[in-house]
Amino acid sequence: MGKRQSFSVSDASMPAGGEAGQAGQQVYDHLELLAAMGKDFASSGDIEASLKCAVEHITEYLDAEGGALFLLDDKGETLRCHACVGPTEITGLTLKCDQGIVGRCVQNEIGEIVRNVTKDAGFHAGIDEQTGYTTRSILCAPMSVKDERIGAIELINKRGGDGLFEESDLHLLQAMSASAALAIHNARQAEALVEQERIARELELAAEIQRSLLPEAGADDFPVAGVNHAARTVSGDFYDFFPLDDGRICFTLGDVSGKGMNAALMMAKTASLYRCLGKTVRQPGRLMARINAEICETTTRGMFVTMVGGIYDPSTGIVRFANAGHEPPLFHDAEGDFHALPAEAPPLGISPTLVDGLEFPETELKLDGGVLYIFTDGVTEGYLEDGRELKVGGLKRLIRENAALNVKGKLNAVIDCVDRGDAALRDDLTLLAIDDAVPLDLRTSGKTVAVEKTPQDPIAAAEEEEILLSLTVPSQADLLKLIRNAVSETARFCGCDKDVCRDIVIAVDEACQNVIRHAYGGSPNGEIGLEIIRRSDALVFLLRDFAESIDVSSVKPRDLDDIKPGGLGTHFMREVMDDVQFMPPPAAGGNLLRMIKKLPKGPDNET
Amino acid sequence: MKHEIRDEKDATIVALEGDVDLQSSPDARKVLLECVGRKRPVLVDLSAVGYIDSSGVASLVESLQTAKRSGNTLVLVAVSEGAMRVLQLARLDKVFTICDTVEDGLKQVQ
Repeated sequence: MGKRQSFSVSDASMPAGGEAGQAGQQVYDHLELLAAMGKDFASSGDIEASLKCAVEHITEYLDAEGGALFLLDDKGETLRCHACVGPTEITGLTLKCDQGIVGRCVQNEIGEIVRNVTKDAGFHAGIDEQTGYTTRSILCAPMSVKDERIGAIELINKRGGDGLFEESDLHLLQAMSASAALAIHNARQAEALVEQERIARELELAAEIQRSLLPEAGADDFPVAGVNHAARTVSGDFYDFFPLDDGRICFTLGDVSGKGMNAALMMAKTASLYRCLGKTVRQPGRLMARINAEICETTTRGMFVTMVGGIYDPSTGIVRFANAGHEPPLFHDAEGDFHALPAEAPPLGISPTLVDGLEFPETELKLDGGVLYIFTDGVTEGYLEDGRELKVGGLKRLIRENAALNVKGKLNAVIDCVDRGDAALRDDLTLLAIDDAVPLDLRTSGKTVAVEKTPQDPIAAAEEEEILLSLTVPSQADLLKLIRNAVSETARFCGCDKDVCRDIVIAVDEACQNVIRHAYGGSPNGEIGLEIIRRSDALVFLLRDFAESIDVSSVKPRDLDDIKPGGLGTHFMREVMDDVQFMPPPAAGGNLLRMIKKLPKGPDNET
Repeated sequence: MKHEIRDEKDATIVALEGDVDLQSSPDARKVLLECVGRKRPVLVDLSAVGYIDSSGVASLVESLQTAKRSGNTLVLVAVSEGAMRVLQLARLDKVFTICDTVEDGLKQVQ
């Protein structure tokens, strides 16, 4: 639809035309005015001030008593006066988009001369009633660019002469309106562009933060690796893995519903929760339940997270994980067969009570040299070069074809097929793999599987271990003496002198007391398991109970400056032992405490 | 754990014997507080204590605090090696008045 250039004159008594003989000077002034207005709009950063300036010029030039510039709002529903000059101040006044002569002018995109407003049914007398001003005649021209209605400029009451606007005035006003419309349009576009650039910059910053949430790649023989390609700047997917101090590796991969900034923020929250809680809560099912509760407490309605989280032990090849509504991970076993491991729990953030009890169900799997793949649907629903989706079948094919590569190579082979860099991604691509091949080789060759040196652990994985004592006793105070004697004898047997034996007895006795008093709440019906393991350089004491897991962070040595009865036991343990740590307990639950006492060097080692 | 209380001219002497552990420390606590309640200086003889744990130490601390509150004194005497180690671990060897022998303890409270 082309722009309408027509105009109407509403009072038939006024002859149209006849103004052809305007002086050349006037045309020159008119052009100069347009040029001045255009320059003003272009150079000013303040569009409102430029509008005011334009209305002043136009009103003065056409010798009207007053003038006003109305703009349509974003929805095109209301007209608002953005600038005005003259006897009444109506800046800020709003009208319905079709109200009054200005509304009609905007809707019809036709300029109008109304010589006697009292004869025009469309005239909105409300303003005159409020201001006490009398409007006699109106000159109004619409502002539009292409098909976009922008607003209108309205002039009121011609000064001098017969007080009536001429047709030539309308021509002039239309020309100036068109010029103003273009200026407003350009200014708005420039503003939008600046805003777009600002948003793009913010997004890039957000993406940078997001990338920093992903773990750094491990060494080439590190058994766990992941990759994430975002479809947009920011991603709703995440993965993470980090070694625990006992050499096991905590891993996760998740997908937040949606793809926008909200998904990205949710991703950041979930990933942070996992990394933070994963260091202390070492049962995947319990960990997922904690994260679920946290997300449910604060989540935006309708958002949820599908996620797999677990722990891999390179020294045994055992993976334990919980799956909250995520795509079934694929296990590619050492024989080359695939096994899908479907979710047994709903996504996180749906309901804090959907899962029975306090834990999400766990799956335990012995990788035995195989590879576990966890991925988002962006991978299986990604497009191949021929336009077909990869699907699980295609993923299996790629895995099989690239089985000989190391774990990073395996992942890249898959990702390269779906993200060839030639087209926008359909969805975020995220893939994580746990490759048990290298650890298996180490295990079978009898070498130590040391994933990472553990700075907190003063005694890193030792070569030889020998269980010296293993006993299970009821949680009764009167049996502590029995335990003390057994521990004392074992320590003496290992060459500890009297003082060291006594210290070890104190620490183990206090640890057992804690189990009886705190874990079992004084009940004699529980069980305490004690294992003493001799390493070449240390004695390891493993103390196990089957009570509710305790909050490890609440177990602190007491402040010794604060002299009061009780709370000393943990202090004694830490004082006596070289290392005291709560460990992730076996699947059956309960608590596992590990204490390590370095053995004095034997006479052979002393020089 | 066994105990023996005897009253000397200047003090009540309570001797604990055996292991003061989770099982026996409630008894030790009762005995110690009872002695402190006699409003006379108390000497706690730990020479025959083979083992004392944190709960036993806690009973000693509570007794000392109770004695101090009532202007009374409590002195540990003849502390066995094992008990001394635990007091050292708890940094309580500087908090208690500790005498090598019962005689020294009696002189201390005169």
